[in-house]
Amino acid sequence: MTYLAVAYLGMLVAIALWTWTVVQRSRRLDQRLHALEGVGGVDRQPQKSEDEAEHKP
Amino acid sequence: MLTPPAMKWGEVLLVLGFTGIGSTLLLALLWAPSVSLDAFESPAAQRIFYWHVPAAWAAFIAFGALFIGSAGWLFRRSEWAWRLHVAGSEAGLATGLMTVWSGCVWGAAEWGTPWDWTDVRLNTFGLLTLLAVYVVLGRNSQPDGVESRDTFAAFGLYGFVLVPVTYIATRIWTIRHPGPVVATGEEGSINGDMGMVLLLGAVSFTVFIIGHMLTSMRLTALEQRLSNLQRHHDGGA
Repeated sequence: MTYLAVAYLGMLVAIALWTWTVVQRSRRLDQRLHALEGVGGVDRQPQKSEDEAEHKP
Repeated sequence: MLTPPAMKWGEVLLVLGFTGIGSTLLLALLWAPSVSLDAFESPAAQRIFYWHVPAAWAAFIAFGALFIGSAGWLFRRSEWAWRLHVAGSEAGLATGLMTVWSGCVWGAAEWGTPWDWTDVRLNTFGLLTLLAVYVVLGRNSQPDGVESRDTFAAFGLYGFVLVPVTYIATRIWTIRHPGPVVATGEEGSINGDMGMVLLLGAVSFTVFIIGHMLTSMRLTALEQRLSNLQRHHDGGA
């Protein structure tokens, strides 16, 4: 019974790790996407500032 | 493309499925009735059946998804189908390994050997799992493109023929793997309490694997979006 419990728990831990990896990958990708979109925003921001600067007296 | 609510659904299903799987294990170890001492060499090991059968069921769902995704990519060039192919192959690999591993644990206790190379069911299921290994590892080592997608989709499509062969193997050739205990057309060989734990396991694994495939499909969509954005940024730089 002990080896069975160990085998069961091992498999449960394995699928928990697998699930955790997938969810973490998904969250990391979300963050990277937000960051890249943020960079896009920053890219546009200086452009706006330059445009604004041109109109400043 | 999968939207954020699909991700939420995927994660909700993952948690529900995982909770159900944990409950199944507890019930299997502590509550399910023991089998006859005369019928098995290792009656305690029989309890692994509550994991092994639902995992195999989930593997068939995953390989079904791999088949549909592969066909959808080959015949319709659908990005959604390609994401289903990716999700199905990863889920098929994980559930295939769970089934093989739990079967080996049981075989070692009951037969005295973890594997029997003469048993059709064992070998066709082993081949299915190897197919998933090849598709997942191969795809991760190749640059994404139409040619590589076609190759892996063809493997997913034609490899599915092993699913019905595996399913009917113990109905035609009972060598070492036990014959079917449910869906036999007869009363079956498990009692009500055993059937209930098995049903809980099957439902939990189904919910869990669907949750995994939804999350995995979203992950692939995010990777594609990220890759497009990076290309756009690099091109624009």
